[in-house]
Amino acid sequence: MKAFRFYVLLLAFVVAGCAHRPDSTVSAAPAMASLPVTQEAAPAPSPVQKEPPARSAPAIAAASKADEFGDITEFDDIGKGGEGGMAEKPEIADPLEPFNRAMYHFNDKLYFWFLKPVAQGYGKVVPKPARVSVDNFFTNLAFPIRFANCLLQADFGGAAKELGRFTVNTVWGVGGFLDPASSEEIDLAKQDRDFGQTLGTYGIGQGFYITWPVFGPSSPRDTVGLVGDSFLRPFTYVSPWYVGTGARAYGMVNDTSLSIGDYEALQGAAIDPYVAIRDAYVQYRLKKIQLKGSNPPPEKTGVPKP
Amino acid sequence: MKRSIMLAIAIFLLLTLPAFAGAPLDTVQLNVNKGLDVLRDPKLKADSAKEAKKEKLRLIYNNLFDDVEMGKRTLSRNWNSLNTAQRQEFVKLFRQVLEKAYVDRILDYKDEKIVFDKESMVSDTQAEVYTRVLTSSNKEIPISYRTIKKDGSWRVYDVVIENVSLVLNYRTQFNDILSKNNPEHLLETLRQKVKGQ
Repeated sequence: MKAFRFYVLLLAFVVAGCAHRPDSTVSAAPAMASLPVTQEAAPAPSPVQKEPPARSAPAIAAASKADEFGDITEFDDIGKGGEGGMAEKPEIADPLEPFNRAMYHFNDKLYFWFLKPVAQGYGKVVPKPARVSVDNFFTNLAFPIRFANCLLQADFGGAAKELGRFTVNTVWGVGGFLDPASSEEIDLAKQDRDFGQTLGTYGIGQGFYITWPVFGPSSPRDTVGLVGDSFLRPFTYVSPWYVGTGARAYGMVNDTSLSIGDYEALQGAAIDPYVAIRDAYVQYRLKKIQLKGSNPPPEKTGVPKP
Repeated sequence: MKRSIMLAIAIFLLLTLPAFAGAPLDTVQLNVNKGLDVLRDPKLKADSAKEAKKEKLRLIYNNLFDDVEMGKRTLSRNWNSLNTAQRQEFVKLFRQVLEKAYVDRILDYKDEKIVFDKESMVSDTQAEVYTRVLTSSNKEIPISYRTIKKDGSWRVYDVVIENVSLVLNYRTQFNDILSKNNPEHLLETLRQKVKGQ
């Protein structure tokens, strides 16, 4: 089932796009906007209420024996995907679907015709540990985004961790190329935060679905987040502009070289890849907002092993 | 007399304990580890043993996963608009689609470590088991298994990777197809998917 991470990695890739490379997970996809996130508004009754075990256990057991393939009569549980805490349905309006599908195909071609071959060539020349180091470097540079958003979300513990990480990795991690802060001894996990998530935690809805060329899946809220975060990105202030853009494009190629095969797997598994990516994006963003503070188990990039 | 009471209590405890001692996590851990054993089995390393490996993995999959439950949850309300024959075919095809999509990636598995963190009971008959996969490049991927208890044993009906639920993801796709087409069209799409590529 490993393949599933591809959903996310891919997502990260698509979402993050060039601009985003530095925070390699999806932290990139900041903006989400405020449309109908189709929420099951009412605070869902606790799972226990919804599915009194006494009733459903026998019901299910009976169903499985007598008529496994019979009709479904209890939708409460199934409709939620089976998780108690999942009050919000991960759905998104998609009024721009024709445009979005066109952009999806554009990004798909961009990947297969350009990004992938370039990344493969680059991967052949540069050994993996070096590429992991470069990835660490870009991640470290995006520190201001994570730090500021921790503060904006009033997560001071997270902000302190980020500050500690930045200090440790910059000083002892050779300017951010290594990631000693993630080692077991120091254990300062990266806090994946972005401005779109921050807006989400303020109660702003994601809005509708947009696929940007190059940047990938987004929403009005996440687009605002993306733009907001870009002001905290050092490359934004590099002049001339094409040097900064070039650096970001390089970060993107480097990242792709570490995740070749992920997008392909995602596509292979999907019945309708466009819808699959859209859904994965929405689920991922929604969960990220719900989990703020309790960071989804942080991604560790770690110290490259020689 | 006293002895036999003690014995009865002991037997009672033995019989009942496993049912309460983190059964969902144990089930997942046991089967996932069995799967890893197959993947790492030096005897099955050769390319020619690929089919044998797949066959073994299928058996483990059968023990761990509940195809029908997964199919029901994936179709959700649409399940009822399929007739029984279509439902059976759907479950079969869906399974084949998943196998086809993921088996090669799973066979590539070797250096990864899996940490079984905890389980959380959603109700008496449902639980979520949280695990993390540590990859060779030192990345961590959270994976959780949603399980349901049927006839006394726990089976998995959904896998959530990096917060993306497999069932929900396919449900969105199938809903999209079924909102514009009839069930036969969906089945045909799946048949093509299984055949193609």
